[in-house]
Amino acid sequence: MSTTIASAPARPPRSLILWAGLILVGLHVATGLLSLVWLPYEPTGMVGMRLEGPSLVHWIGTDRLGRDLFTQLMIGSRIALVVGIGAVAIGAAIGVTLGILAAFASKWLDDALAATLDILIAFPTLLIAMLVVAASDTASLWSAIVALGIALSAIVARLTRILAKRVLVMDYITAARTSGSSWPKIVAIHILPNIWPTLSVNFALQFGLAVIAEASLSYLGLGAPPPNASWGRMLQEAQGTVYTAPLGAIAPGLALVSLAIGVNLLADGLRDSIDPTRRAR
Amino acid sequence: MTTKTILLAATLLAGVALPAAAFAQDFNPDATIRIGSLYEPQNLDNTAGAGQGINEAFNGNVYEALFQLTDAGSVEPKLVESYEASEDGLTYTFTLKAGVTFHSGEPLTAADVKYSIERVTAEQSKSSRKRSLSTITGIETPDDRTLVITLSARSISLPYNLSYVWVVNDAATDITAAEDGTGPYSLAEWRRGSALALERFDGYWGEPASNGEVIYTYFTDATALNNALLTNAVDIITSVQSPDSLAQFSGNPAFTVTEGASTTKELLAYNDRVAPFDNVQVRKALARATDKARLLNSIWGDYGTLIGSFVPPTDPWYVDLTGVDAYDVDSAKALLAEAGYADGFEFTLDTPDYDPHPIVAQFLQAEYAKIGVTVNINVITANEWYTKIYQERNFEATLQEHVNHRDIVFYGNPDFYWGYNNPEVVKLIADAEAAGSEAEQVEKLTQANRIIADDAAGNWLYLYPQIVVSAANVTGYPVNGLNSQFFAYDIEKAE
Amino acid sequence: MALPFRPGYSVPDKARIPPILAYTIRRTLILIASLFIAAVVLFVLLRLLPGDPANALLGVGATEQQIAAARAQVGSDQPLYVQFAAFIGNLARLDLGTSFVSRASVLTEIGNRMAVTLPLTLFGFVLAVLLALPLGILAAVRSDKWYGTAISVVSQLGIAIPVFWVGILLVTLFAINLRWLPSGGFPLRGWRNFGEAATGMILPSLTIGLVMGASLLRYVRAATLDVLGSDYLRTARALGASFPEALVRHGLRNGSVPVISILGIELASTFLGAVVIERVFSLPGLGSMLLLAIQQRDYPNVQGVLFVSTLLVLIIGFAADIAQRFIDPRLRGRVSAAA
Repeated sequence: MSTTIASAPARPPRSLILWAGLILVGLHVATGLLSLVWLPYEPTGMVGMRLEGPSLVHWIGTDRLGRDLFTQLMIGSRIALVVGIGAVAIGAAIGVTLGILAAFASKWLDDALAATLDILIAFPTLLIAMLVVAASDTASLWSAIVALGIALSAIVARLTRILAKRVLVMDYITAARTSGSSWPKIVAIHILPNIWPTLSVNFALQFGLAVIAEASLSYLGLGAPPPNASWGRMLQEAQGTVYTAPLGAIAPGLALVSLAIGVNLLADGLRDSIDPTRRAR
Repeated sequence: MTTKTILLAATLLAGVALPAAAFAQDFNPDATIRIGSLYEPQNLDNTAGAGQGINEAFNGNVYEALFQLTDAGSVEPKLVESYEASEDGLTYTFTLKAGVTFHSGEPLTAADVKYSIERVTAEQSKSSRKRSLSTITGIETPDDRTLVITLSARSISLPYNLSYVWVVNDAATDITAAEDGTGPYSLAEWRRGSALALERFDGYWGEPASNGEVIYTYFTDATALNNALLTNAVDIITSVQSPDSLAQFSGNPAFTVTEGASTTKELLAYNDRVAPFDNVQVRKALARATDKARLLNSIWGDYGTLIGSFVPPTDPWYVDLTGVDAYDVDSAKALLAEAGYADGFEFTLDTPDYDPHPIVAQFLQAEYAKIGVTVNINVITANEWYTKIYQERNFEATLQEHVNHRDIVFYGNPDFYWGYNNPEVVKLIADAEAAGSEAEQVEKLTQANRIIADDAAGNWLYLYPQIVVSAANVTGYPVNGLNSQFFAYDIEKAE
Repeated sequence: MALPFRPGYSVPDKARIPPILAYTIRRTLILIASLFIAAVVLFVLLRLLPGDPANALLGVGATEQQIAAARAQVGSDQPLYVQFAAFIGNLARLDLGTSFVSRASVLTEIGNRMAVTLPLTLFGFVLAVLLALPLGILAAVRSDKWYGTAISVVSQLGIAIPVFWVGILLVTLFAINLRWLPSGGFPLRGWRNFGEAATGMILPSLTIGLVMGASLLRYVRAATLDVLGSDYLRTARALGASFPEALVRHGLRNGSVPVISILGIELASTFLGAVVIERVFSLPGLGSMLLLAIQQRDYPNVQGVLFVSTLLVLIIGFAADIAQRFIDPRLRGRVSAAA
């Protein structure tokens, strides 16, 4: 529609973005699933020498303990998916509930919730996660996931609230209300289906956010404890040997970046397929 | 009562290479020496939980003690002119050096020393030497230069233990954020989280420092510290933490790499109070299931030393005990079966969150899986370690690096965190302390050493290497860093 | 997600007093209320952290009396409402107490750390804006050209790379290999040693600028694309304005509204998120203070840093909102396009 004014933005085809995202994410999903049934080596097995370089036996070499890096990388895909999905699920459960509550609540409660969310949203995911991890007694992969989920929930809640409020003023909601539909019914039938497309795009973006934040948590020493071969943990452990065995840091880094780009592309592609008139952002 | 002067114990370290002494080049007497370290003190008071970093920065530099543990391992008089012990070894009379002043300008008196010792033994003191000095029953100051200490039992290590006691001006107020010592440097500035500067004290009673200023710069990770030396942002790294970073320095003429004598031991400590670790066969089985040579190679490449007990080769009571419970998976399994754990067992390993402990924990997890023992790794912060393990003893097993010299004596304390309680060892260590001669002390401690090894009281994984790296134009620094000390006053920098 | 940085409820259209003034008053009240809410959250959060803060004060083998005395000192023996009243009272007087570990005044320490984190954030922010604005607009206006697409692709990469990776990469390149800049650290004498302090800020600021610039660029590009497709731009062009003229006159103003709210959020989260950067570059900033305080269970420090940073976040949000109103007085309760 803007083609008549600005020099025609001949953008790459939408489907290309979607496909690129699908392929990248699909690759990691496949690897993660494969890691459940087959791995080149036992994950904790000290099968090689210290810091071996890439070879036919160990495709991307070994770590300090002589464990196969490719095996860990595969498990890393699975852990990244678990972290991403887990964190988004927790964030969604808390966030959507809070957001809808706020949208339905009395004006004062809504104002208070909105103001709180405004504060929380400015706190980086990482910082909130740091505090939650500190508050949990023993560190585990799950404490990291819960921490990330809680951190993400503010963003979800805020978005849900805005979207729900927009739907709430529609005529058919007023009609449903006057006809005596209960609130849970209104939420289930009218609101959730309406806001779902936008929310799901947002979830994909947050999935990427969670995976990157897990790596940062691990870098700060607050992430998934050993023996979880999360990419963040691999990066952290390879830090000291980055000059002598750079592949140990490069490989998990690339894996992380490819998954994050994958979900971002997927989100962009999904948004376009939901709303073809909108441009990719 | 007859008295005799005791000769100072001089345990010289053998085979220690000192960095090539002074170049032909002239050094700059006012140079700034920048020391890179990973151990920032939490505060400036070594009796208030300041951490090992405060010893590195302040021992011998800002504060002095009656005696000094030199980098070569001998105990020499510092603020003491002479001293005498009574025949029964229960009364010590110290004469202080004359003309010593604090940085504030006040003269040193015996009252200051009395105050300083009482600071360490006070109830709220967090000093690790509190217990060692508990035999002191009275301190008197007949005059300004004389101090008389009475003991409840003989203590052959009294001079050694007093080397930990900073002499602080008794009029000084805020010791946690300021200082008033007698050392060759005074504190110039401290920026928390970043650096601490010492400047040469002009009124120093002894030989003035060979440099004008020392800046300790603190880093939170070893890679950043290496980068700082590589890019000439610091002159010296006090202790290198991985062999991989050495690759950048060794063979490069711009740097000097020196391997000193280490006293830092990586220890898998069991809580010997709880099952199954109260069973000596279980402890021996775990020791035999640990391929320590492989572990040392994983962590340190070609550096470091294997030890068979808690004693480093530089202690006089060292004996090679690496043959006791040597690596042998089959006999480990047999021992476990004998102990009634044929199907193995499961335990939680509390692992401090900093290098190398998490990687060591993963190694042990993989090793012990081979004999059916399941290790659950629980990562904790250094602070949690202190509360949960050191104070509350609420653990099954833990990893820790023990940095101190002569710390076999901890096995003589049944109340120590690991709860090892063998009356024979307790007696030997007490007897060693009450010994009339050094030969007797060495004999008793050597016996104790053999027993703890036979009991597999702990699993002594390896001895860290002690490696100092410096820019080539810097010389005269300590290479052993005993008890984390780092005397800076002889460091010379050629310009 | 172009979300405005303010609560999304609607203001009655019939406001009589000058809208901007009414809004400022209202927004100030919200600021104060938010501060109170933040204090409550903080109070609850600190009670959730495990362990009795009294333990942090004591050494090995503390007696019951000592523990009781320490509790009295930190107030953890009082009933919760008394603790809360004392807590609010202290915050109101900006009395943040003294650290358990270093025994130093928390406020003074925060001041010292601010001397690192504030300039770092601001330099990084300015760099990000300088990078994102021209490139974002270019990427939108020239989205048909290869470089327009290239910019978009690179910005995708920018938001998918962890910050510390970018930092380590820059250190390896500029500090270790090229030896142009220091690899990290902040001089002992701080800004009094201006040259060293400033050069030490370059790489960390660049890291922030690149990562934050990449995500900002995407918003700028999206906002520009929205403007390009809008009716008023078409109208302006139809009325004879040249394309650049129309874009600058109408586009910038309209496009900047959502961008400003994003700027507010980004500035605040960069400030708080500097912890990773400070770790990579060994900078003694607020983030590293917080990280250490969390590890050491140094409650007064945790509380102080969180309170001061919340205060800053709220003030930034406040400023962003007021700025938006000045730029676009028509903005009422309107919610700009989300997601």
